[in-house]
Amino acid sequence: MSSTATLPRSQAANRPALRAALLLLRGRAFFVLIILLALFSAMAPSFLTANNLAILTKHVSISAILAIGMTFVVLTGGIDLSVGSLAGLSGMVIGATLTQGVGFAGSRHFPPVLVGMLIAIAVCLAVGLINGWLVTKAGVAPFIATLGTLYIARGAALLISDGKTFPNLAGQASRGNTGFPLLGQAFFLGLPAPVWIMLVLFALAAFVAAKTPLGRQVYAVGGNERAARLVGIRVSRVILFTYVASAFCASLVGLIIASQLEAAHPATGDSFELNAIAAVVLGGTSLMGGRGSIGGSLIGACVIGVLSDGLVMLGVSEFWQMVIKGSVIIFAVAVDQLQVKLQARILPLISQNRSEVTA
Amino acid sequence: MQHRLRIVRMSLAAAILLASLGCHRAELSKPLIVILVPSRDNPFFKAEADAAAARATALGYRVRVDAHDDDAYRQDNLIDAAIASNAAAIILDNAGADSSIAAVRRATKYKIPCFLIDREIDAQGIARAQIIADNNQGARIVAAEFASALGPEGGNYAELLGRESDTNARVRTEGFHAVLDNNPKLVRVSAQSANWSQSEAFEKTETILQSHQGIRGIIAGNDTMALGAVAAVKSSGHTGIIITGFDGSPDAIAAIQAGEMRATTLQPAVVIARMAVDEADAFLKTGSTGKPERQVIPCDLVTRENAADYSNFEKVR
Repeated sequence: MSSTATLPRSQAANRPALRAALLLLRGRAFFVLIILLALFSAMAPSFLTANNLAILTKHVSISAILAIGMTFVVLTGGIDLSVGSLAGLSGMVIGATLTQGVGFAGSRHFPPVLVGMLIAIAVCLAVGLINGWLVTKAGVAPFIATLGTLYIARGAALLISDGKTFPNLAGQASRGNTGFPLLGQAFFLGLPAPVWIMLVLFALAAFVAAKTPLGRQVYAVGGNERAARLVGIRVSRVILFTYVASAFCASLVGLIIASQLEAAHPATGDSFELNAIAAVVLGGTSLMGGRGSIGGSLIGACVIGVLSDGLVMLGVSEFWQMVIKGSVIIFAVAVDQLQVKLQARILPLISQNRSEVTA
Repeated sequence: MQHRLRIVRMSLAAAILLASLGCHRAELSKPLIVILVPSRDNPFFKAEADAAAARATALGYRVRVDAHDDDAYRQDNLIDAAIASNAAAIILDNAGADSSIAAVRRATKYKIPCFLIDREIDAQGIARAQIIADNNQGARIVAAEFASALGPEGGNYAELLGRESDTNARVRTEGFHAVLDNNPKLVRVSAQSANWSQSEAFEKTETILQSHQGIRGIIAGNDTMALGAVAAVKSSGHTGIIITGFDGSPDAIAAIQAGEMRATTLQPAVVIARMAVDEADAFLKTGSTGKPERQVIPCDLVTRENAADYSNFEKVR
């Protein structure tokens, strides 16, 4: 505290202002979201209707679900570039099981929808395990390991159908595999099913991150891996968990999109990983690991979703949409750095203030 | 002083914002037509989108153009946005014959009529109209020109195919062979897919010219690949090789005028786009387009004789 003692008087007087600035910075994604909502509601009259909000949250749920899984990976200081390809692979697997069936003991069987979905999820979890193994045991940098699986999963998705689309995923009653379109298209209590999936995942992930030992270990590993190892955390196992969680979220996204389109296309999910990373970063999670939250990523996904839907509704050209989206992401990360610096300066001041009060 | 300047600047900005919002409101009272095309930087789709937008604006509609980048999920979101904006109609060059059906059905369910251009979907009775160019007829006329350029003595030729998963690639090559296979002296010595791409066509043609002597012609599934072949033939020093394309792009027409390409087929993209808007307008005003759902529009053959009559995917003279 010796540094605070020598602070000039003017700065000490500015404490409330500094504190307000810190609050603004911490909740910046939230404030940006409010501003965007206000702006688009003013300029596009149909923006703030129940109908559009249902559609908007449905779009948000896709990047939000990916971002929830991605947050765990990023909290450990890693990155998962394979999620977009995994979403594509998951869709192709469910497409194949619904329309081509599974060859088994010399004959074709059409598994029920739920089994097909479990197969798709299992395939993605296997890739997630490979990602985690590459990072922890093989010592491949996360960026490279998941870049590799990005290509492998995309290639596998193309190979499954030889590049073609699996059409008509509504299933056939005679095969007993109808009902798949419900996953992406059903409504429950006025909200689309994907939004409910997102909300359940969010609650689960926020609980795991904040309240369970595993969640705290994720932060510990990202904050200081060596220290985490020394206090007895099984670092490899924690990192493995994050990649599997991310792959799980990606597989759900693939299933939801295939269900919405009632068709599985091998190129689905192209560059989704970038949206997910952007949402995570916008939400204040540090790419260096150890700092961030699931809730932040959810808000980050909302910002990206509102921005892209709102710009489309305003009729802003696609080229400008890209420029604006890029600018928002850079702005958010620049502000993130500012927050880190400001926090380092203000927090001692505030804590000293508190100790004065208690004393 | 600084403070006052800031106030002036801020009030100016506010005034501009309010004024633009005012204009915006007046514009908003018009019914909206949403035009969705695969891309906005490809000349073919740009011509198509511009033509549809210009016609719709002239008919008193508000217009929004978006590109789905051949991504069915992005197209799905853009259709959602059109539904949310209470669009009066959607003009759609779709992202896939199978993967677009659900999106078109949803828009129709929300009472937004869809008018499909350029590409079909594998379903009837959902869209109000599906207006497409006759790829088979287009392939036949350009193949006939290719065959007559090579003359009755025939000879060896190579074919550059489009992307194998694309329906149009298959339809076009079938059209080519319905004509070319009638002359037994025309021998296809090599057939390679160059995936619609200019650079890939360049490399493939170089290899083909290396491995096969005496090639007299190259027939390509689209203009981009034909132009790749033109560049490869030029750099290899060969002369007199007959090259034809498909689409009628401005670059190909320039190459035809320069004598580097023999012919191409012009897809009437601009005409189709305008037809779709006119039919949407008729449907919104009278409840019927007065036309069958599926409409096939013939293509035009473009050679050196009539190349000057065509510009930007349209017959101008």
